Amino acid sequence: MEDRDNREGAQPQPQPDTASGGSTDLGSSSAIGKRLKAYYDDVASEPVPDRFLSLLDALDAAESASKTPRQG
Amino acid sequence: MAQEPDFRRELIAIIPNLRAFAASLAGSFDRADDLVQETLVKAWDKQHTFQPGTNLKAWLFTILRNEFYTQMRKKGREVQDVDGIHAMQLAGHPEQQGHLDLQDFRKALDQLPDDQREALILIGASGFSYEEAAEICKCAVGTIKSRVSRARTRMSDLLGIEGDGEFGPDSISSQIIGVAPAA
Repeated sequence: MEDRDNREGAQPQPQPDTASGGSTDLGSSSAIGKRLKAYYDDVASEPVPDRFLSLLDALDAAESASKTPRQG
Repeated sequence: MAQEPDFRRELIAIIPNLRAFAASLAGSFDRADDLVQETLVKAWDKQHTFQPGTNLKAWLFTILRNEFYTQMRKKGREVQDVDGIHAMQLAGHPEQQGHLDLQDFRKALDQLPDDQREALILIGASGFSYEEAAEICKCAVGTIKSRVSRARTRMSDLLGIEGDGEFGPDSISSQIIGVAPAA
């Protein structure tokens, strides 16, 4: 989603109406917004722990087992 | 046939976001991951109630949030008085640059009321619209907006950021005014 060479013409990103009281604006150019992202991404950028993959495998297996119609 | 392999894959794709949201709510990684685990189990159990094509991420966030508040109600507010410890636990990786910055930020975040903190995270970090955040928090869009606004103001105060987020001429002038060091 690089828009760098799109510097003329239409702006692809809708601009929030910062003029009319932009106090809720948390865009990347806001200092709070930037730190918020950094804080959040610090966790969100970590790989998915194995415990969750195992959990989903177990749920999957349990469900298949319970839903498999009895043969014979 | 019993289930959609896509559902599993999509769940996995959203787990990093769930963990980050959970960490911001719960304050410690252990509790956050327990919350995520509960969320995944619940989501799996009621995946038939999820309407394909609607926002799975918002659906999962709603489950996680409900789970968090249910646990809070059960346990009482034991969480509140260990802010400092939480900040330490969540400080991230010591070798990482900006470590102190994050720690300060976490401490400030901890001082917000839960409703303001979650609104700030949902809008500012998780990438939800105000409408989606309102649905997740089961409140009006205007309520989310005012929570975010109050949270921002509070965070700016706590972190000593002047004139944050006010773009346009006002922000420039306030930045120029704010530039002079207090010392």
